[in-house]
Amino acid sequence: MVAKTEKSAVDLLKSPGMTSLFKSLKLKTKQQELLIRVTILFLVYVLAFITRLFSVLRYESMIHEFDPYFNYRVTQFLTQKGFYEFWNWFDSESWYPLGRIVGGTLFPGLMVTAYLIYRTLQFLRFAIHIREVCVLTAPFFASNTTLVAYFFGKELWDSGAGLVAAVLIAICPGYISRSVAGSYDNEGVAIFALLLTFYLFVKAVNTGSLAFALASAFGYFYMVSAWGGYVFIINLIPLYVMVLLITGRYSMRLYVAYNCTYILGMLLAMQIRFVGFQHVQSGEHMAAMGVFFLMQVFYFLDWVKHLLNDPKLFHTFLRITVTCAVGLGAIALGVGTASGYISPWTGRFYSLLDPTYAKDHIPIIASVSEHQPTAWSSFMFDFHILLFLFPAGLYFCFKRLSDATIFIVMYGLTSMYFAGVMVRLILVATPAVCLISAIAVSATIKNLTQLVRAKSKASHSASGKGTISKASSKGSLDQSLPFQRNGAIALLLGAFFLLSRYAIHCTWVTSEAYSSPSIVLAARGAHGNRVIFDDYREAYFWLRQNTPPDAKVMSWWDYGYQITAMGNRTVIVDNNTWNNTHIATVGRAMSSYEDEAYDIMRSLDVDYVLVVFGGVTGYSSDDINKFLWMVRIGGGVFPVIKEPDYLVNGEYRVDKGAAPKMLNCLMYKLSYYRFGEVTTEYGKPPGSQILYLLGMGLSPASTSAYISMVVVKLIFIKNQIWTKS
Amino acid sequence: MPPKSETHAASATTGGTTQFDPSSNSIDPIFHILKVLPFFFLRPPRLRLKLPTFTLPSAMTVYSLILLTYFMVVSGIVYDVIVEPPGIGSTQDRFTGAVRPVVFLPGRVNGQYIIEGLSSGFMFVLGGVGIVLLDLALDKNRAKSVKVSFASAGVAFVVISYVMSMLFVRIKIPGYLR
Repeated sequence: MVAKTEKSAVDLLKSPGMTSLFKSLKLKTKQQELLIRVTILFLVYVLAFITRLFSVLRYESMIHEFDPYFNYRVTQFLTQKGFYEFWNWFDSESWYPLGRIVGGTLFPGLMVTAYLIYRTLQFLRFAIHIREVCVLTAPFFASNTTLVAYFFGKELWDSGAGLVAAVLIAICPGYISRSVAGSYDNEGVAIFALLLTFYLFVKAVNTGSLAFALASAFGYFYMVSAWGGYVFIINLIPLYVMVLLITGRYSMRLYVAYNCTYILGMLLAMQIRFVGFQHVQSGEHMAAMGVFFLMQVFYFLDWVKHLLNDPKLFHTFLRITVTCAVGLGAIALGVGTASGYISPWTGRFYSLLDPTYAKDHIPIIASVSEHQPTAWSSFMFDFHILLFLFPAGLYFCFKRLSDATIFIVMYGLTSMYFAGVMVRLILVATPAVCLISAIAVSATIKNLTQLVRAKSKASHSASGKGTISKASSKGSLDQSLPFQRNGAIALLLGAFFLLSRYAIHCTWVTSEAYSSPSIVLAARGAHGNRVIFDDYREAYFWLRQNTPPDAKVMSWWDYGYQITAMGNRTVIVDNNTWNNTHIATVGRAMSSYEDEAYDIMRSLDVDYVLVVFGGVTGYSSDDINKFLWMVRIGGGVFPVIKEPDYLVNGEYRVDKGAAPKMLNCLMYKLSYYRFGEVTTEYGKPPGSQILYLLGMGLSPASTSAYISMVVVKLIFIKNQIWTKS
Repeated sequence: MPPKSETHAASATTGGTTQFDPSSNSIDPIFHILKVLPFFFLRPPRLRLKLPTFTLPSAMTVYSLILLTYFMVVSGIVYDVIVEPPGIGSTQDRFTGAVRPVVFLPGRVNGQYIIEGLSSGFMFVLGGVGIVLLDLALDKNRAKSVKVSFASAGVAFVVISYVMSMLFVRIKIPGYLR
């Protein structure tokens, strides 16, 4: 009995059949390395997806913020009506009475992508709602971006750097902020397209392959269809080519890559109606054209040099040609700009070059909170230790200059400058910062591990070469070797500690700061319990159910997209902000006395006014807080609205000491309407957020200024109310 | 005028042109007239001008300039220029009435005073320089003492920079990592 039971599993493993099976399973080093790499990439792919799911798990699967609601509505239209209806769509439900030519004024890439994913899933018989597809599009493309980052890192440095780049970009908060689940916005797809275009272009420059250049052109087409930020690509690539030409790195590979990418990319970009002919008409795209002609000049000079075989004669010819070319280019640019054929830089992009421009001239651009310049804490929040690794990575790139590293250095520097000008553009800088930091991490860790592993090699070589040793290096190497090895191990542990702190920081930031849907708010109740405010959606649903279908709603432009998408009613202005005068009209109505405002609203056929007021709880981004922007924008077009009228000694007050114009304007009256009645209820802090929806049932027969207002007021009180005495 | 002094004069006035004789192959009559005519009246001065030669700076020069620019951008200099915050904030002590300085702008993530921006930017650049020093310390062609001092300085810089940056963030954002 005992002998039999001794034949255990271990004996089974040691039997000859099993050992030969294990030997066949034992992988060679190259295969082991491939397995490790594939496993890491798979884990990174999954990680990038699941770290963006916080808000889906906490609240529900819904679209966040403001802009994504428009995109969602457009995608719904696309799935219901088909592509040609979508391309020719004229939307009469927004910007009443002007309407909006939707087909020609948007970037269709995101919607078409979601639509294709939806159709693919339906083909595979997954009955999934389009909303789920929209919510999860951004995390899916974030995972794809990590793969592209791996290949890009491999192209720039080596596969180790590629792996580190993939990990860093999977969890970097700068990217997560615009690509959480639910943030169905252009940037979610555009960053993938940006990195893909850049990777394919750099690969084309490195290899001179026509296939990669054409692929890069198609990547550029996808980028143009997805986001207005394609202007960055069409200016960075020519700048990069110029730098290569100046540093004497002109080559046939560069010629093939740039020409094919530019020409085909330009032709493809003109297929998007919103972009149209801007590639040949707009000042922002002229750099690419100039560099294109400069490349032809370089090629011509190269050919002449090859023909002449006389360096001195060629030298003179070179001078004459370059002078003529530059002169002709300057004349052409001057004639084009003066005659108006080449339009100047638009305000949005010009304010990136001259940051003070928007503040003085275009208040609408200056008022968007995402367009504010960046403080150091925003950088720290979004990048953490990548801020130290970035300059170190730049050093490594400068140490080993090649066409590819010059590109990533330029991308990193230009994007960091723009990120400093506008907070929103930290997103564009994130891939560059992650790649350069990955180079730093990879190079440093490689140095340290070489030190750790150098012991056995040094002892072998010392015994082999005998007395041939330089006293300073080899001797000292032998002397300090045990110390060096321990130091290197300690430094490696320190590096892993830093990277783990980075991961902790990123997860914390994602969970706390970037996973809020903005349309549903959460707060802590009196007993520390979590209180959810769904006031926005309830208000829009009230609008949908209790107002006539052709009612027109006036509100500040922030809420326009949400009202049309969820409330299904016509709005006067929305987030597209394409017509400044229309917005100024609404701003003027909000900041005038009630009788003047009534006339304006009558002229716009307004039936309902929507105002967000958070005065009871201290919800800080309500319309009273944004009121000065309404005054500024209104005053920018109608000089009758003057900002100092609403201030007391230059200070903005809303209490009883406020300016008389402020106390009597429409916005103030609507916000604080019957506020005194609200304060009769006593409650415990903190309270809830209150949305006042005031509908003015305006009877057309009435003529007096103060119309018999049937004011319908709806208060949504969630929990206890906190009163201000 | 004899041809030789003409060519000398021509090459002296037009700075960096090459030394070969253009008149030997040209059949352009205007060119020949222009070569001869003005010099009946004018005597070109003997200049020693050279066109400035354009040499590209070395990679490490460019790198140090870039480091300086990075320091400025990451300290929030664009924010300082546009929003014009004070160099350092101040708050009044409720009981004593004395004015106390406040270094970190409280309450918002995207806001700063000038000095806090500059000191944080300095910490980031210090961390970067530390890692660069670590790499320089591994260069085989230096004396051992130099390598050791580079390595220790590099480690010290990185540690200081990380600790100080974390301290700054904790002061600025009170709920950090909680």
